Amino acid sequence: MKEIVRFTLARLRGQILGWGIAMLLLGVMSIPFYDGIVDQAEALDEMLKYFPPELMALFGDFSMASYVTPEGYLGLQYFDMMAILILGVFAILTGSGLIASDEENGRLDLILAHPVSRTALLAGRLLAFVAATLGILVLSWLGIVVPMEFTSMDLTWGEVALPFLSLFAELMLFGTMALLLSMLLPSRRAAASAAGFALIASYVLVALARMPSVGDVVKNAARLSPLTYYQSGQAIDGLNLGWFLGLLALSAILAALSAWLFQRRDIRVGGEGGWRLSLIR
Amino acid sequence: MNDSLAIVAQGLTKSYGSVRALRGVHLEVKHGEIFGFLGPNGAGKTTTIRCMLDLIRPDGGTLRVLGLDPQAQALAVRARTGYLPGELRTYDDLTVEQALRHLNALRGNKADWSSVQALTRRLDLDVRPHIKYLSKGNKQKVGVAQALMHRPDLLLLDEPTAGLDPLVQREVLRLIAEAKSHGATVFFSSHVLSEVQEIAERVAIIRSGVVVEVAETSSLINRAMRRVSVRFEQPVEVTALAGIPGVKVLRQDEARSALLQVEGRMDGLIKALAAFPVSDFETERPSLEEVFLAYYQGERTEAK
Repeated sequence: MKEIVRFTLARLRGQILGWGIAMLLLGVMSIPFYDGIVDQAEALDEMLKYFPPELMALFGDFSMASYVTPEGYLGLQYFDMMAILILGVFAILTGSGLIASDEENGRLDLILAHPVSRTALLAGRLLAFVAATLGILVLSWLGIVVPMEFTSMDLTWGEVALPFLSLFAELMLFGTMALLLSMLLPSRRAAASAAGFALIASYVLVALARMPSVGDVVKNAARLSPLTYYQSGQAIDGLNLGWFLGLLALSAILAALSAWLFQRRDIRVGGEGGWRLSLIR
Repeated sequence: MNDSLAIVAQGLTKSYGSVRALRGVHLEVKHGEIFGFLGPNGAGKTTTIRCMLDLIRPDGGTLRVLGLDPQAQALAVRARTGYLPGELRTYDDLTVEQALRHLNALRGNKADWSSVQALTRRLDLDVRPHIKYLSKGNKQKVGVAQALMHRPDLLLLDEPTAGLDPLVQREVLRLIAEAKSHGATVFFSSHVLSEVQEIAERVAIIRSGVVVEVAETSSLINRAMRRVSVRFEQPVEVTALAGIPGVKVLRQDEARSALLQVEGRMDGLIKALAAFPVSDFETERPSLEEVFLAYYQGERTEAK
């Protein structure tokens, strides 16, 4: 399994650098504006009074007072939308391709003709995915904590790591969800599309549930959305361990289900199609 | 289970939806033999091989490879097996050396790298280029090298010489023969019947998911129809020959020569020819290809 992890990680090297540097730059571009926002808080607050209440409702209990705190600023500028959606795409594309990519390209036959069990292959690739995600998150974190030193943000590097942990748990969930879907759906593209839809739908549902005018149906439905348990910048005040561990446990269940399905089905020859449900026994 | 058998398949069935790829395959391959597996596209050759490696699971029947159950003991089977897929697909952005080193690492670096280099030299395979720049033939050489490099007990080769030039084809056949001389069992499918005829001790012919014939290569050829060309010293009436069981007159030229087709024993024909002034007599053995085609012509006739 060591070789599988090493090889998969080596192949993810470009992605780690690409996504990681992009997120690092996003942080570097966002953080220096913090002091300017704090200085202009009163003027901005005045301006916000003219925003439509429906639009403001999308931001829930948003207030300028909360926005100018480091937690609020990092949440709104970085974690709430950009980080989860951008890195969600990475997690979904990588998760859906962990096995299906090689299968669709006809490479899986040769790999599994070697003394490598399907479980070890999947576990090794998952470990590499976890390591790659952590690598990207470390680069992203550096993109915040280093420029933060040149602002008035009064946070420790450890405190800034907490929302990244919450983000990590979400990425694991969407990555393993995409992996599971790749075991069920006929192609990697279908799996990535379905998981991508789940991510966007979850995001919209959580945003809608913040609006005071929506009914209980939406609010109750949002409880099922994984992003409800994403703490964003609020994690700086304390990571909700229950949510964090719950998301990781759910990811582990999805990974175990994927392994179970992978163990029980035929390996397709490259280019072979068909719904895989019929191949499960 | 017989210990002298490397592969045993009994009543192996496999369907893909409504397509019945294997309809009860029976096979027995002895340890240390070279066994040819013949059949056209879609006959079930690759499906059978993929079942042996647990890449797909048969719907029914039993299968033992090197005395092991490929489903329950997949790792043990694969550790002792070298597999060449019909079309090698690997990571195009790796160099040949990186690809071979990775595949070797998946086997716990079982192959000594100097012996891998010796193998690639014999195949005239440059290990420096990236896979994506290789011709089909050179990709095939990578496939052959990775299948042979760890000196497996069993070689499962799907069209081993496809895409290779004649010189390298000869080298691959020599490597297969050497593997056998070191005790390996070789199970290979091929469309190139001349090479099967050359190196396989026994062959099986698979047709529409059923093995219709298993025989020693030589006996299969001997048993089949052969053509006989006879030249006479003076014009003769050969219609009498057509009455001999198994003999058919294909052509007669000016009553001085005849081309006959003989199925089965030659005894009756030779005795009948004794009555004629024969000046020349030639028999032509059918190639394995003709034997193979005969099976498929039979299938088409049955279908009609």
